[in-house]
Amino acid sequence: MASVTDFSHHDVEAHHAHELPTGWRRFLFSTNHKDIGTLYLVFAICAGLIGTVFSIVIRAELMEPGLHVFPVISAVMSGDGSIDAAKNMYNVFFSSHALIMIFFMVMPAMMGGFGNWMVPLLIGAPDMAFPRLNNLSFWLLAASFALLMCSLFAEGSPGMHGFGGGWVLYPPFSSVIGTPGPAADFVILSMHLAGASSIIGSINFIATILNMRAPGMTMFRMPLFAWSVLITAFLLLLALPVLAGALTMLLTDRNFHTTFFEPAGGGDPILFQHLFWFFGHPEVYILIIPGFGIVSQVVATFSKKPIFGYVGMVYAMLAIAFLGFAVWAHHMFTTGMSLNAQRYFVFATMVIAVPTGVKVFSWLATMWGGSISLRPPMLWAIGFVFVFTVGGVTGVVLANAAIDRYLHDTYYVVAHFHYVMSLGAVFSIFAGFYYWFPKMTGYLYDERLAKWHFWVSFVGINLTFFPQHFLGFQGMPRRVVDYTEAYAFWNMVSSIGAYISGAGTLIFLYLIYEAFKAKRHAPDNPWGPGATTLEWKVPSPAPFHTWESPPQIFGDEDVHAPAIAGHGSAA
Amino acid sequence: MTASGDHDGTTVSVGGRARRNNCLIGVGGITLALTMIGLTYGAAPFYSAFCRATGYEGTPQRVTANTDAEGHRILRVGFDANVAPGLDWSFEPESESVRLRTGKTVTVFFRARNLTDRPTEARATFNVTPEVSGEYFDKIACFCFTTQHLGPHESAEWPVVFFLDPALENDISMARVDSITLSYTLFAPPSEKPAPGRSADRAGPAG
Repeated sequence: MASVTDFSHHDVEAHHAHELPTGWRRFLFSTNHKDIGTLYLVFAICAGLIGTVFSIVIRAELMEPGLHVFPVISAVMSGDGSIDAAKNMYNVFFSSHALIMIFFMVMPAMMGGFGNWMVPLLIGAPDMAFPRLNNLSFWLLAASFALLMCSLFAEGSPGMHGFGGGWVLYPPFSSVIGTPGPAADFVILSMHLAGASSIIGSINFIATILNMRAPGMTMFRMPLFAWSVLITAFLLLLALPVLAGALTMLLTDRNFHTTFFEPAGGGDPILFQHLFWFFGHPEVYILIIPGFGIVSQVVATFSKKPIFGYVGMVYAMLAIAFLGFAVWAHHMFTTGMSLNAQRYFVFATMVIAVPTGVKVFSWLATMWGGSISLRPPMLWAIGFVFVFTVGGVTGVVLANAAIDRYLHDTYYVVAHFHYVMSLGAVFSIFAGFYYWFPKMTGYLYDERLAKWHFWVSFVGINLTFFPQHFLGFQGMPRRVVDYTEAYAFWNMVSSIGAYISGAGTLIFLYLIYEAFKAKRHAPDNPWGPGATTLEWKVPSPAPFHTWESPPQIFGDEDVHAPAIAGHGSAA
Repeated sequence: MTASGDHDGTTVSVGGRARRNNCLIGVGGITLALTMIGLTYGAAPFYSAFCRATGYEGTPQRVTANTDAEGHRILRVGFDANVAPGLDWSFEPESESVRLRTGKTVTVFFRARNLTDRPTEARATFNVTPEVSGEYFDKIACFCFTTQHLGPHESAEWPVVFFLDPALENDISMARVDSITLSYTLFAPPSEKPAPGRSADRAGPAG
């Protein structure tokens, strides 16, 4: 049995001798992994709320055929309520919705938020390897978000406001031909800053995890969330520079007469698609792999069993990450590839279903025969396994080049990636949030409210996205503001679902307010004997400094299983 | 890492070997990121060379002579000529299409005319659709290989000499392709383009 020493309360008191910064200085100049993690989480919640409002406005517009909502929004935001301005503003909204949710909600919540908060705690490190760079990472992201918001009000297409070319930023629409105004430049520079922020952050995670683990915490004894963050950090480090490079080419094409993507000078817009998706496909794994880690730990905790197939889980994540770099052109089946190229990309894409299947199997096998308690984090984790599997199956459907001819750019694709992202990634974020909330804040939340939040969201979000599969089969194209009567019924259902999940978000906000108001103090470990990882050995809320003397970890280093904190049998 | 981290009040910093290792990983990470940016830029010439070598994206092949091996399939080759906004030229194929046997060399002509009062130059971009046929579309001579100059109101007839590689008969991607379109778009050199942002013109078929 492996175990670690108890957190010494003597250490905690010693820190009070130091002057801890307070107020705005504490956060603006913070070098503390927990404070920066908190900043990231608050940022992610705020950005997520803006992104959610955008999505609900989009669904409100699509509830019925015809234009209803966006003429008003466009009139308010740009002073132009004409039909063309309304259509443009719709495009701006769905583009911004995507960028906000990817770069300013999911990534900051998972890597910046939970990664910063929990990785040092989980591996027994006193802080991140480069605390000041960590601060830089966060504030670069805040600046990046400000630039994206600026783009909404800058001129894009002639006479229009904002950039409406989707998160993919394909030229020629994003070049001077489609968007001569500075809105596209704002978006490009925003992505540059977000990329720099994530690259710095991922170097920090890699150094921390490879170099600052407590003695005895070998690589194959790390909890799966630490593994998932390490793998994601490598994905970020390899993928984001490609986006940065491609966007720099686009920026110089727009402003300095280079012709990387301009046919006039021998360039090719398809090259941008290749570069973008070489980044873009790993990016979707960047969004989901930390979720794998969170769900693995939550499922193990609330099944009161060690995770089934720990080593297999690690290799499955590595395999998914590795394969993620070799399948990008499955987003481009309709750009005219030879049959052999399509065969390769179909096959390589389908192979990813194998390690993904290993993960789903291992989560189910962990629950199998376990003593399951359906507390809120576990509900979200089980919900994750369900929606992620649905999204994964539709992904295998879309991987077929022949079927993709029919479904490409239809609502089927929208349903697919929302099932893995909007439901999968977000459910894992909520699983992590409800799992670690007592550790981060020191307060217990109202579990009844958390369960309401889960069920309302689960029903609402499935009602939103499941009918979109039908719309896709009917042939409804994505990124359209209006549609024929034939699609009216399922669009109405989908919009009602969006309102219900919006109500779920309100429950979530009230739950946070209630938890801070009621101040029910959380014990060190609120989850019982299943919670064996190191973060449950420090007090709740986790003090400013933890693991300054590294925890001593007992047990056989050759046993490949997560190091556990023991059941009160500390040395 | 060292047995205990020390901190200057708020920032925890590690000392000795751990610090050195962190810095090594930091430098390695930055190097890796910069390498990826470099590779991204390297992708542009690589992609161009890849397309020329494999015919990817409908890039016709450039050859010096026909191999004289005649095949037996007969395909239609259609011609399409465009002028990009910013270049005041007319540009059209002499015949709309030709039917030819694989392996047989043909010469077709395109007519171009400078509609302005000053000498200008232009360069044509080219591709064939369906894209998979690029690999088998072999050009021996083409006006698109070089920049073309036309004086004020001067007109010219430009030849294109090409053949279809009989090897296409063995490619199942080409089995159901009966018709190939060779398309050109004439562009003013990028340096002569007016400042961006002035017009919403789109490229379209020329006169």
